[in-house]
Amino acid sequence: MNNTKFKGTTLAKLSFVGAVTFSFMCSSITSVNAGHHGNVYGPYPITEKSYKGTKKNSVSYGGQMARQLLHNSLKKLASKGNPKDPTLAPEKKMLAYLNTKDKSKSLPIMDPKSSSKFPVKQKMIGELSGGANLSGKADKRIQTSWPGNMSGVDVIKFMIKKAGKTKGGVDTRNGMNYPQLISKYTMGAVLYHQACDNYLDEKMTPSSKPNNKPYKKGAHYTGKEHSWDEAFGYWGAAAHTMKLSAVQSYDVAKKKDLKAADYNKDGVVDLQTEMTYAHAYYASSYDKKGKTNYLKNVTSAFIDGRKLITAADGNKLSKTELDKIQGYVQIICSNWEDVIAESVFKYAGSVYKDLGKIEKAFDSGTGMDKAMSAYLKHWGELKGFAMALQAGPDNKSDTFNRMNRMMGFGPLMPNLSQVIGIDSSGDYIKDQGSSIGYYKLHMLKIQKLMASKYALKAKVNDATGGMAALLEEVGSKKSAEND
Amino acid sequence: MDILHQYIETLSENFFDPKKRVFLGYLLSAFVISFLWLTIVKKEKIKQTINKIFDKKVFMSKSSQADYILFLLNIIILMFLSPLLISQLAIAHIVFEYLHSQTILMPLNIETNNLWIIPTFFTLSYFILDDFTKYITHALMHKVPVLWEIHKTHHSARTLTPLTIFRTHPIEGVIFVIRSAFTQGIVISTFYYVYGGNITFVTILGANLFSFWFHLFGSNLRHSHIKLNYWNWLEKILISPAQHQIHHSIKKEHHNKNFGVALALWDTLFGSLHLSKSNEYIEFGISNKKHKYENNIIYLYISPFIGIYKIFLNYVSPHNINGKKQNLKFNKQTRY
Repeated sequence: MNNTKFKGTTLAKLSFVGAVTFSFMCSSITSVNAGHHGNVYGPYPITEKSYKGTKKNSVSYGGQMARQLLHNSLKKLASKGNPKDPTLAPEKKMLAYLNTKDKSKSLPIMDPKSSSKFPVKQKMIGELSGGANLSGKADKRIQTSWPGNMSGVDVIKFMIKKAGKTKGGVDTRNGMNYPQLISKYTMGAVLYHQACDNYLDEKMTPSSKPNNKPYKKGAHYTGKEHSWDEAFGYWGAAAHTMKLSAVQSYDVAKKKDLKAADYNKDGVVDLQTEMTYAHAYYASSYDKKGKTNYLKNVTSAFIDGRKLITAADGNKLSKTELDKIQGYVQIICSNWEDVIAESVFKYAGSVYKDLGKIEKAFDSGTGMDKAMSAYLKHWGELKGFAMALQAGPDNKSDTFNRMNRMMGFGPLMPNLSQVIGIDSSGDYIKDQGSSIGYYKLHMLKIQKLMASKYALKAKVNDATGGMAALLEEVGSKKSAEND
Repeated sequence: MDILHQYIETLSENFFDPKKRVFLGYLLSAFVISFLWLTIVKKEKIKQTINKIFDKKVFMSKSSQADYILFLLNIIILMFLSPLLISQLAIAHIVFEYLHSQTILMPLNIETNNLWIIPTFFTLSYFILDDFTKYITHALMHKVPVLWEIHKTHHSARTLTPLTIFRTHPIEGVIFVIRSAFTQGIVISTFYYVYGGNITFVTILGANLFSFWFHLFGSNLRHSHIKLNYWNWLEKILISPAQHQIHHSIKKEHHNKNFGVALALWDTLFGSLHLSKSNEYIEFGISNKKHKYENNIIYLYISPFIGIYKIFLNYVSPHNINGKKQNLKFNKQTRY
């Protein structure tokens, strides 16, 4: 009897424990699935068959988010240049954000910093990843868009060195706005380059990082899963971007909309999944004008591609699946390229307008400082984005050469001098440039070039847009009629 | 279906777009003006006036019927030809870019937003320059033999109605499209360069302010049988409907007169002005001798080619080679 009673009690207990365990397992699985809302990037279940650990989510792009924050921080620091500091502290600090992998969690995030209006979860770069730096991922090709025949990483180092010795990071003698140059070029040379010229390029070929093997030994994600995630991280969109309007994504990047950013409603913005960065921010800035849909085109292609890889369930991707992936890659990288080209177009228009203001300041004798400040900022953005465009997989050398020739290595200064090279000491060599009129013409031609070579729709600051509108207003004569 | 849709759109645009001469509003204003002119100035009775304005002999004449058919057919032809022609935007870009490379004309760098005078000056300048290029083109259509052969189609009208403006050979339509593109492209790009991106037109219902007034005050009566004339002093500045009707007259003394569209200033300046006279009878056409096929649609389309071919023959004839030109005179208006 006792034995029977014992057996009955034990069975009851075992049944209870079993039921609880089963329920827990089910709820765990359900929570992963429930967590995976259709149009949110992740979480996605583990499909890597060799993985024996406890992780439930195969999504991983902490290193890319760390690089987004290193980029943000570098931009902030570039404006802290001080020519009077003999210790070269500004330069050293910037180099730390370029080169250091923050294993010890000692590098503070400079932007975004937590505030009462926009509290953020992480404070140190290492909280996102302790194994990511910028310099290791920069474009290694020789950059013809910058003087000195330097590789991408050397260009950034050169700019950092100059920025550190320049008050506020803006060299008014040579016309270099380093915060803008460093930021925009890094966006291209690291973020765009890594995504479209590496992870979505070589690593999406059948033999590279196959889906039936872990990305690296012991990893809980497959080769293709992680390659895809890394590229998504470089894009810089919040995981729940598809649930936001372009204006909301833009405001999240500007730290103005906590409600839109805080998707999991924990009261803080997770810089890993809830923030909008760099390229995604620029995409949102064009999309909010209503003519384009870059942000959602790219983000939805990333989500669809990831779903397809996840659905392969850890098996090698078939040719059909790889072809579909290539379709998504095409959407992602062509839209991404267009976003950068839109920026080149926009800032060429800004520079054109600024030159008009400089001419006006010349005539009136007032407002030159303000006009020059805007001019150098916009030229830095123009040059940085133009260089970024050249960091992609598509080498449109003819377009790039024309663009580089027209904007030059430096802006045309009011005394008509312009940087034409770098000497052996790393100092700029200058020469007499063209007239302001000619330089304005170059800006027009850059806009024309961008419009003809890329599928631009936003066309912000179109220098001839007003003229086209006037012609439209007059209306073209299409009928045969006498007067 | 796209072509049909485009055709209907272009067709209806003529009557519903205030930028167009035969916009219904302008046709209505032309009726009101002619009604007031005939009843008040000419002291005619209302019934008589209505009958005169809507004279069946005019609107249903063979000449007018040919106008209507040409109107409908030319839309199709121009639909296919227009895309092949240089656009005003392309010209504007070329001029705008050129202006950056010269140093004579420089941007004024002034704020234009709060100055009504600059948009008004721009709108008026465009209107005047557009009118001037129309005068020049029109004069050339009469004085260059090959062009006259093309322009004859328009002058072959025996009755004038507002739709006679469409009695135009498609080649002439192409010439006008090119003239319009060059004028718009050059004028607008130059002003845009000098005054900056904020410059705007002053418009009413989307039409240029001055064009609007020109059309509202009876531009459609130019091609009509209502002989509305102005005071002589005014006819030296603005072309009256009666002056344009003189331009269509078969009388020799009226040939090559009044080329102007809105402004008579050009005719005054270049010696082609002819003032109207009250109650002067004017017969329209090219010659008093009626041509058998003058309202035949096919003939209207091919006759310019025949005329040009004859000119060509005259130049390459053996007589001409030997220095003896054939006795085919290219007087100011070769007749049928």
